Amino acid sequence: MALRIIFIVFALLSLPANGQKYFTRSGITEFEASEKAFEPIEAINESTTAIMDLSSGVIVSQVFMAGFQFKNALMQEHFNENYMESNQYPKATFKGKLDNFSLDDLKSNEPIPLSGMLTIKGVEKKIQTTVSITQDQSGLSLTGMFAVNPEDFNIKIPVIVQEKIADMVHINLNYQLVEQK
Amino acid sequence: MVVGVVLITMVGFSTYGYLFSAPTKPADANPEFMGQAQEFSYLVTDDLAFWVNKVVELTGEVSEVTDDGILINGTIYCQFDDKTILKTITKNQRLTIKGKMVGFDELLMEIKLSQCIIP
Repeated sequence: MALRIIFIVFALLSLPANGQKYFTRSGITEFEASEKAFEPIEAINESTTAIMDLSSGVIVSQVFMAGFQFKNALMQEHFNENYMESNQYPKATFKGKLDNFSLDDLKSNEPIPLSGMLTIKGVEKKIQTTVSITQDQSGLSLTGMFAVNPEDFNIKIPVIVQEKIADMVHINLNYQLVEQK
Repeated sequence: MVVGVVLITMVGFSTYGYLFSAPTKPADANPEFMGQAQEFSYLVTDDLAFWVNKVVELTGEVSEVTDDGILINGTIYCQFDDKTILKTITKNQRLTIKGKMVGFDELLMEIKLSQCIIP
């Protein structure tokens, strides 16, 4: 009996170390789709949720369309109503995994390959990119960037504004993750 | 002639204002809902799509204060632009906040509000 209790206590103690998770509610996701010589098309979302499992290298994140802030009200309205249809598709999600991730990767400053599925407007697409992750006292810092083609996600850009919007949309990530207790 | 110039100027300014104005801050908007945070949670469960992008004013108990926001009733996360105000907020305090509902976070099972202020 005593042995069993000890076993259970040890099992419980070892759990957090195995499933150590880091997360943020306020990750920064920015996108930029400007063409030279036209007004900048960019927005910032500072309320991205991201969770990373340290042992497996699994990363999930979620970004609300309504959380993207533009400098221009009309652009924000068009983004939500015409391009993203954010009433119908309120969020984009990403589920992925760092390739062959080990804790040693946090010490080197090498970019870590990340692949996973990005879902925007209900359309899933495989994304392959690299991110850099560093560890400090407060937690983990994850940064990266990749580009997507709006057409892949059924985002239709009217001919009349086509020359003002870049073919590829650049997405920047900056997530400061803290340990989830 | 003068009237024409005035008219054109007026139209010009209002068009410019319409095309290039910054988005309304939740702080300046009329809230779509004012009341208890708990009641708001029920309303969101009932019709999430309706509440996305709406400005609301909620009263509830602060269950956690983080680096950039507070958790109300354990289920509503409110992000503040002005982080200095967070230092004045304490856990278990009853508080009214105003902000824009951005969605329901399925990863953390929380309703999320951004650009919050204390009205």
